[in-house]
Amino acid sequence: MATTRGQHLQFDLDDDDVKLFCEEADEQIELLDTYLVQLEGEPEADLVQQIFRAAHTLKGSSATIGHKKMASLTHAMETVLDAVRQGRRTPTSEVVDALLAGLDALRILANEVITRIDSGVETSGLEADLHAVLEADGPEASSGPTVAGGTTYQLSETSVSAALAGIGQGSSCYLVEVQIDPNSQLPSIRGFQVLQEIDALGIALQTWPDRDLIEAGAAELSITAAILSKESDEQLQAAVRVVSDVSSVSVQVIAVEQLDHPIAASVTSAAKAGFDSGRPQLALVGSPAVVNDTARAPKKAATQSVRIDVERLDGLMNLVGELVIDRTRLQQIREQLSAVLKKANLTELEENFEETTAHLARVTDELQEQIMRSRMLPVKSVLTRLPRLVRDVATKCGKRVELLTAGEETELDRSVIEEISDPLVHILRNAVDHGIETPEERRAAGKPETGTVTVTAWNQETFIYLSVKDDGKGIDTRTLRTKVVEKGIMSREAAESATEEQVVQWIFMAGLSTAKTLSDVSGRGVGMDIVRTNIERLNGQVKVRSTPGKGSEVIIQLPLTLATTKALMVMANSTVYAIPLVSVTEALADHEADIHSVNGVKTLRLRSRLLPMIDLANALGDSRPRSIEAGRFVVAARHGERQVAFTVDRLLGEQDVVVKSIGDLVGNRKGLTGATILGDGTLGLIVDTASLVTDQAILASA
Amino acid sequence: MATKTESVIESSSQHSREEHVVIFRLAEEFYALDIQTVQEIVRMQTITSIPGSDFWVEGITNLRGRVVPVIDLRKRCGVNAGDHSPETRIVVVSSATGMVGFIVDAVSEVMRIPGEQVEPPSAIVSVPENTYLRGIAKLDDRLVSLMDLEGVLPRAAGAAEEFEFAAAAAA
Repeated sequence: MATTRGQHLQFDLDDDDVKLFCEEADEQIELLDTYLVQLEGEPEADLVQQIFRAAHTLKGSSATIGHKKMASLTHAMETVLDAVRQGRRTPTSEVVDALLAGLDALRILANEVITRIDSGVETSGLEADLHAVLEADGPEASSGPTVAGGTTYQLSETSVSAALAGIGQGSSCYLVEVQIDPNSQLPSIRGFQVLQEIDALGIALQTWPDRDLIEAGAAELSITAAILSKESDEQLQAAVRVVSDVSSVSVQVIAVEQLDHPIAASVTSAAKAGFDSGRPQLALVGSPAVVNDTARAPKKAATQSVRIDVERLDGLMNLVGELVIDRTRLQQIREQLSAVLKKANLTELEENFEETTAHLARVTDELQEQIMRSRMLPVKSVLTRLPRLVRDVATKCGKRVELLTAGEETELDRSVIEEISDPLVHILRNAVDHGIETPEERRAAGKPETGTVTVTAWNQETFIYLSVKDDGKGIDTRTLRTKVVEKGIMSREAAESATEEQVVQWIFMAGLSTAKTLSDVSGRGVGMDIVRTNIERLNGQVKVRSTPGKGSEVIIQLPLTLATTKALMVMANSTVYAIPLVSVTEALADHEADIHSVNGVKTLRLRSRLLPMIDLANALGDSRPRSIEAGRFVVAARHGERQVAFTVDRLLGEQDVVVKSIGDLVGNRKGLTGATILGDGTLGLIVDTASLVTDQAILASA
Repeated sequence: MATKTESVIESSSQHSREEHVVIFRLAEEFYALDIQTVQEIVRMQTITSIPGSDFWVEGITNLRGRVVPVIDLRKRCGVNAGDHSPETRIVVVSSATGMVGFIVDAVSEVMRIPGEQVEPPSAIVSVPENTYLRGIAKLDDRLVSLMDLEGVLPRAAGAAEEFEFAAAAAA
């Protein structure tokens, strides 16, 4: 077959449907991503059921929109999962690999619905692989009566009594299983037609899925009905076959013995027991019961929550930001006004006004808080990606690693979630690749062969913390000391005199990698450097702790939201600047500061360190004439290991600032991250300490 | 028959094509912007300058909670930029890259200019780097330069200079 890559695709849905389809597909794919890696070994029956259902839903929705490739691939995956569900196939690592490979392709295929461009993904090979793993396990289990797919159907008490009554009056009870071709253009209509045919020949006691669902147009590709009819099974067969796109029909008589059950009848099953013991190789923290709960959670949550467009939330956040500024201005106006009102003997009016503005201020604060909360997502959405990652990396490195996670419910701002995912993945990769030893090394060190990586999230004050901890060999400080000297980053004396605690932080330096061999997993030591840069851009901090032989822990500290930042407000050459507080180490008046001139460069001696002194306005490129009071205060700021001291004219105190973009039209914005509206309605500029400190520290040392 | 109707429509549309513009003054010259692009006209207010920005960028200002860049149109158009007067206004326009404010010496009027009164700029002036004049309107008492909004705006960032620093001294 000729390649179809790049070709335009046509699907059976409008723009609104695309959104719906993508949301649903994303949800199911996420679910598969989380649970498939836990499938290996002897999975819980509930877990298998959950995975099967996700695959089944994907198959249904992709068939509805006419995405044939996706429907056919999910069908192949579903078939394998069905075999696993019934115990006909043990989920070995080959099975999981084949399913994961299928999942990767599904992601791309699902995206085609948005792009409408054929991605050129070839599914036939994957389907063949899936088919092969199914075959590899030998013949299907032959014990027990098997009906079509071999699924178990539970008849309700009402159905059972109706069936028994019907059989008493000369009817027969049948189980009719109908499969609709996944390539059907109109699977929902076909389902409905099948139901009509059945109704014409008898009474449908119960259907799977529910009759309501079929009538509402649910696109199920497999429909089963327990029916009461006077017709023969051949006649039933023939009648249902009339419906287009029906690929298979199986009709089976349900015997009275099968119905004669005190509570509910269970009709036919080929499923074997034996899922219920053992523990998956990779497990989320908590008992299996927790996993089940989270699996069911989306259904419960659906009734209490509404999907909101992120843009709308961002809009709300901006509006509240304005309200907060007006609140501050209003309070300033009130102060001026109250003096006037008092003088005019209008105390009652003055009191009313004061009460109202105070109330308004409280409500505004509350509103801001609530909207901030509504933008928060549980960190779980990032953590769900991790088990798969750990499995892949561990397999590649020939290591055995168990991932534990805790604090998945910890919430943080959506904008932070988006930004934190990549650094987290990088740190985790490093932990598995560099931290955890090979099974042999671990055995030799007297540790369990399977290493453990724990990812924990928690809240503390206005920060969120994420920790990635491994029980590997720890950071090799000896090698780090040698490396920094070799690379000319530090003198031998400096490297030797640094404490162990200081040395481990060097893993965040550019160009250092202590792994003896380079691997395609963690790259060439550019990683941790970028991790730190990214986290500091989010006004966060990252630190590492390590115990030789016992393991290491990377801790990330992040602000709860990126929309507001705590900053030190300063004045430099008549402009107000906000310096993010996370980067400020000290602020002092210059007469208190220990200032020296070294080689013509003004240098601040702060404790044991020497910091180059830089005029903030100059560093930002302010070329206007300087005011008299120039440079009377010093603000020490750091970015990573580098520190500089900025001279400013005045310190204006700390403030929460709402970060606003300056826009692209202004031209040079070097050293600035945005602007913020001040209490008096004018604008202040937010300093990008990261870029400024780095540049200035390099310039000063050059 | 068909061709005749077409040509009638074409010529009539050419004649009736009016320019609905806001006319403002920069020093002694008159300029105009399409009224569709003009969002509002505000009095001069506090503008925070951005250190190191292009000389015609006056800075940024707070327009009811929005941060709006402000360009001194007089400097952009090379006319003599005197002090601000009580008549000085900021014309806020909506461009493809967002809202922008233009400082002008005065806003004189809103007007409809018939198409036949507009000449292409080349007929009167030819400035090589002129990217923003799309026509000259000959009114009874004066000439008005019709501005092209996107042409008057500096190209969005990306053109920002990249400073390259020597690698660390120790390297």
